[in-house]
Amino acid sequence: MKILVCAKQVPDSTVRVKVAADGRSADTSGITWAIAPYDEYAIELALERKDRDPQTTVSVVTVGPARARDALRQALAMGCDEAIHVTGADAEKAEGLAVARALAKIADEAKPDLVLCGRQASDDDQGLVGPALADVLGWPHVATVTRFETVEGGTDVWKEVEGGHEVWRASGPAVLTVQKSEKDPRYPSLPGIMKAKTKEIPEKDLGSLGVDLNAPRLEIVKMEPPPARGGGKILKDGDARAAAQQLVQLLRDEAKVL
Amino acid sequence: MKVWAVVERGTRDRTGAHGPDLRRVSHEIAAKAASLGDATVLDPHGSGERSSTVALAAALTERAKTDRPDLILIGATPAGRDLGARLAARLGWAYASEITDLKVEAGALLMMRTMYAGKVRATVRAALPAVVSVRPSAFPLPPDAASPTTEPIQVDASAEKLGFQRFEPTASATGRVPLGEARVIVSGGRGLKGPENWKMVEELAGTLGAALGASRAVTDAGWRPNEEQVGQTGKTVSPDLYIALGISGAIQHLAGMTSSKVIVAVNKDPDADIFKVCDYGVVADLFEFLPAFTEEVKKVKGAG
Repeated sequence: MKILVCAKQVPDSTVRVKVAADGRSADTSGITWAIAPYDEYAIELALERKDRDPQTTVSVVTVGPARARDALRQALAMGCDEAIHVTGADAEKAEGLAVARALAKIADEAKPDLVLCGRQASDDDQGLVGPALADVLGWPHVATVTRFETVEGGTDVWKEVEGGHEVWRASGPAVLTVQKSEKDPRYPSLPGIMKAKTKEIPEKDLGSLGVDLNAPRLEIVKMEPPPARGGGKILKDGDARAAAQQLVQLLRDEAKVL
Repeated sequence: MKVWAVVERGTRDRTGAHGPDLRRVSHEIAAKAASLGDATVLDPHGSGERSSTVALAAALTERAKTDRPDLILIGATPAGRDLGARLAARLGWAYASEITDLKVEAGALLMMRTMYAGKVRATVRAALPAVVSVRPSAFPLPPDAASPTTEPIQVDASAEKLGFQRFEPTASATGRVPLGEARVIVSGGRGLKGPENWKMVEELAGTLGAALGASRAVTDAGWRPNEEQVGQTGKTVSPDLYIALGISGAIQHLAGMTSSKVIVAVNKDPDADIFKVCDYGVVADLFEFLPAFTEEVKKVKGAG
């Protein structure tokens, strides 16, 4: 089986995101970057398949600026077979639908059986690229996937829904957008890191792919921190019963939520 | 302005199939659509069949060709976010997911939404036509709101290369209110010490009619199913009341729940970060406090 994973580099999840001086973007100076968490789960699902079936090859692709190369290096160190970097002047500010068209072009050339994406990247949190990529390819897609298995007649895909999982069967190639799944993404092994260091990562220029980069824009007009909270009432003295009574009274009479 | 609201029906317990009732967020977007202009409320689940996102998007795209709406509103449930993205791509329209506010200004949409997993909020602008998924509770329903008149949409799944096989319920799922739409959430963390102690959490949640949430530490440990996780790589929630039990308050968790109206935190560590965002905090041993609190809540609830 041939799997293509689409990954994006975003600020690491431990980063406290600050608003930049322009008031409409995030201040990314000096921050740590990482593969978007759901994309890491997508890589893990693909690599688990490779663990069970060594015939499986896993390629990883990203559309992003020069720094995004580190994310590809990380994916290779985790165990992916090859990486493709789609980059160039427009790579950082390309809209979701344009990114989807670029990824579709890569998928057209690579001809994978499955394309895996994280369900959303933790920067814009749009969750657009996976379903849009499937639409450009004319393939079906399944969202919030936690597991897939090859079966007679196609691939069974477990989709997390409220209260359980729906199992869908794709009879041909499909795009899966991956949810947090059972296993945590693996850490790169030392031999993996050494191997990844020497691997070539081919670069493709986004502007020369021959895809339409005009897409409806979602323009950020203003960015701000969430409203400040704090200054809450802390009950710390007295026994449990007294605190329980006091809290119930506050929730009922002051907050009016009981 | 022509506005569509695409509604969703709630799922039946233990079968995962669509039941007869519209979800709360569907009522909310139908009312919002009516307030924005000439509204049509479309129901692709009327037949009770389980359709793939592709088939739903295709049916709605066909209808949009003749109806020409300016704006399509969809509830930002897991299914709604999925459909919204595919539909926007199919139509080639602008798309914004999980918006929390929206107005039309000079022929464009101005919307509020969070970014970076809830760490910042942004005002965004998109040209019309557009598809937008709306976060539950963003437009609270007036108490006297009438049920919308819905129009069924025929979905043809015969050409699909994707077929539904079966539904596998999560063993520990309680069939309660979906987390994203719950008005009250009781969330447990590592301070509960083990899955066997969730009986206490469930009892409080049952008394309050609340949904169950969990911290990442708890879902990672396998104490609770992943779908209950609140925060980054889980759900972003904004209930009227969020009760955090034994949760220390990692930044990834806080990002997913700080827009709750009232936050209650119970933790034995007075320095826990969760106390920095709470409205009411209790520094106490959970195992002493929680049974007493549940009992007191029962008294109040019983009284009226």
